[in-house]
Amino acid sequence: MTRREWIALIGAAPVLKAADAPAAPVSIARCASYDEDVTAKLAALFDQLGGIEGLVRNKTVTIKLNMTGSPGTRVQGQAPGVTHYTHPKLVGATAHLLGRAGARRIRFVESAWATGGPLEEVMLDSGWNVRALQSAATGVEFENTNALGKAKRYSRFKVPGSAYMYPAFDLNHSYEDTDVFVSLAKLKNHATCGVTLSLKNCFGNTPASIYGDDAGADEPNESPTKGRGEVLHRGARQPSKSAPQELHFGSSHEAEYRVPRIVADLVAARPIHLAIIDGVESIAGGEGPWIRGVRMVKPGVLIAGLNPVCTDAVAAAVMGYNPRAVRGTAPFRKCDNTLLLAEAHGVGTTDLKRIEVRGVPIEQAVCRYDS
Amino acid sequence: MWMRALRWGAVLGLVPFLHAAAPQPSDWVPMRWPWSDPASLELLSGTPINCLLLKTASPEFVEAAAGRGLVTLAVIAPGGDVVGAARRAMAAKVTGIALEGDFPEGIAAGVKETAGGAPVIELTARGRMPLGSNTAILGTYQGVWPGIAVEEDGAKKVAPTGSAWIDTNTGFIRAVRAWGDATLWIANQPPPQTVITGARYLQAIADAAICGARWVLALDHDFAARLARRDAKTMADWERMADLLRYFEQHPEWRRMREYAKLAIVQDPAKGGLVSGGILDMIAARHTPVRPIPRQRLTSEALAGATMAVNVDADALTPEQKEVLRNFTRSGGMLLTGPPGWKDPSPPGDRITFEKAELERLDDIWREVNAMVGRGNMGVRLFNVSSMLSNLLASEDGKTAVVHLVNYSDYPVENVAVHFPAEYQRATLSTPEGVVKSLEIYPTEEGWGVDIDKVSVCATIKLEQQHDP
Repeated sequence: MTRREWIALIGAAPVLKAADAPAAPVSIARCASYDEDVTAKLAALFDQLGGIEGLVRNKTVTIKLNMTGSPGTRVQGQAPGVTHYTHPKLVGATAHLLGRAGARRIRFVESAWATGGPLEEVMLDSGWNVRALQSAATGVEFENTNALGKAKRYSRFKVPGSAYMYPAFDLNHSYEDTDVFVSLAKLKNHATCGVTLSLKNCFGNTPASIYGDDAGADEPNESPTKGRGEVLHRGARQPSKSAPQELHFGSSHEAEYRVPRIVADLVAARPIHLAIIDGVESIAGGEGPWIRGVRMVKPGVLIAGLNPVCTDAVAAAVMGYNPRAVRGTAPFRKCDNTLLLAEAHGVGTTDLKRIEVRGVPIEQAVCRYDS
Repeated sequence: MWMRALRWGAVLGLVPFLHAAAPQPSDWVPMRWPWSDPASLELLSGTPINCLLLKTASPEFVEAAAGRGLVTLAVIAPGGDVVGAARRAMAAKVTGIALEGDFPEGIAAGVKETAGGAPVIELTARGRMPLGSNTAILGTYQGVWPGIAVEEDGAKKVAPTGSAWIDTNTGFIRAVRAWGDATLWIANQPPPQTVITGARYLQAIADAAICGARWVLALDHDFAARLARRDAKTMADWERMADLLRYFEQHPEWRRMREYAKLAIVQDPAKGGLVSGGILDMIAARHTPVRPIPRQRLTSEALAGATMAVNVDADALTPEQKEVLRNFTRSGGMLLTGPPGWKDPSPPGDRITFEKAELERLDDIWREVNAMVGRGNMGVRLFNVSSMLSNLLASEDGKTAVVHLVNYSDYPVENVAVHFPAEYQRATLSTPEGVVKSLEIYPTEEGWGVDIDKVSVCATIKLEQQHDP
């Protein structure tokens, strides 16, 4: 690490806890296409992690999906599952395996773009077979966490220690009414954050009813129709006053500074117990079709781990990146490194030397996203 | 001598049959024919095209066309001796005349007189169509070229749903069909200096056909040249176009069905009601069935079956029409009117689409419409159809409905879901590719649902009420 990188890293992480941050094994499996036996591949990953029965038996499990953007906006007309959404086959396989491992209730969540309507309808609009998902396990539920949803109040999640941006977040009840929280992400680049993996996936935990451009000034707007550009990306306004306000409002309007920190705060406040990353088919160059120059890629991998920072570190390495790269270095050319910021929060280590990789070695799984 | 008499006798004996076989104007399947060589007519073998619009009508060509049972219309544009041109065309024995463009007053009457009872089809500007008249065919030379809209920088325009915006004539066609049973011809031509793929032609055909209109098939120069030399790929495209035309022509009952929706929109054709890209198309872009009612035909009967209505230009209503809407709300209907003082923007002249400032004005009412309709099922709900447009039609007795889908993207769409009301218990899928299959139905929040694996260019779901044996 150069002196410049070190200074940048110090600047990015107020309280560096890299050495203390926990480490956990991460598994990689090859899966060349969604036509393969995705369930068997995922089951093997879970086995390599020591099994998931102990984690989920008789528990409520909430799975945060990645369904970013409108389902109508597509890359070359392709189904979103093969480009920028987590693929429905992997979603179904996850539910099936969690059910088989004894999960009592499995709730799929996502803050669907620009709507507070049922998540099932967004899934249908994405070409997903909702009935198949419902029958993948017993007790399958769906909740659009972009608004209050099925609860009467929002749940408050405090950021432990020194928060970067927000002292706490008000989120849909699903993030609280659960024993286990799973981030089921996609292996992608991100225009603002360099990469979007299991950590960045949780940016979507935030409801647009409170953090959206048309959020109410005082109270949440339960019919949100917009994204989160004004509040979270640009810091042009505060969230609804009913929710905890930004700590140093006005100090930064740079999305590349703000979003990585908000994500780090979110994953510290709402810990992830299991991270699964869909790298079977994906896109490189951005997180969705609205980013110019995205291209379809087929890394042909599935990655899972019990620590999201460790999992993302391995995933970033699979993408051909140094997970500890600092601002100015690929893939964090214009932004701060979310992984390092989460590491500094004590969520997990990015140090590949401390992370045991099981299954396919990183060097055999690499698919360079920048090539 | 007696042999010649015998031949004439045989020919004359066939005349009544030939006459009986001549299609009625409402059954004409029109195409602008770019060639004058009688041999070119061989391309029509096996196609349902039976009406040719000719820029030059030579007696030899017309005779050859008539020999194939084809209708020929001489296309006459404004300028010069229009009546004389009509006289010359009739002398060449064309079936009738197509007046294309906007002619000075009295010219059409002169041409009709010259035609002596032969059909005269007028292809006018949208705003000059004789809506509500008893003409068999209404026609316009104005139309948008259907397809996913692309901005100048190559990006796709975005619809209110966040999906790509689709340029379409469907809203206009529905608005015209609300005036009566005349067959509507959309006679716009492919955009110049643009490569038109076979798929784009299919979309243009289907865009009109799903609403019961006919696009007057018109080939761009490049396609026509390739077709003339029987280029293999172009011939394959041509056959697909014929298949698609045949698909719709084999179901004349679809054309007789009426637009069905629980959402009605009251609009004046003179004030934006015939414009493409307006409120009607914006609602359709959300895949919400909507039924236009011309302001002039606003009655309680016209609103029958509607649960929501949008009154776009409230100030334009007569006291009687206002009372109709009051009765609608008294009987439980939900009514949305434009903001106070708001008027439906109507593009000046013969423009058929809105410009940016006019679209921004539409936003005022669009937000309200969007909020009112919400997740409601206005007749059918469609999922995973972002690159598609649809039309819901119902038979007069309501026992049968069809949902037409057109895919405007270059890729097939997979896993479409259709949710429909409980009164229909049987669903059958048909496609131009020849698929006809009964769909498995499953219960949904609002009735039943079916899944469609794949839609290439278009598909139709026929919904039927189940009858007890």
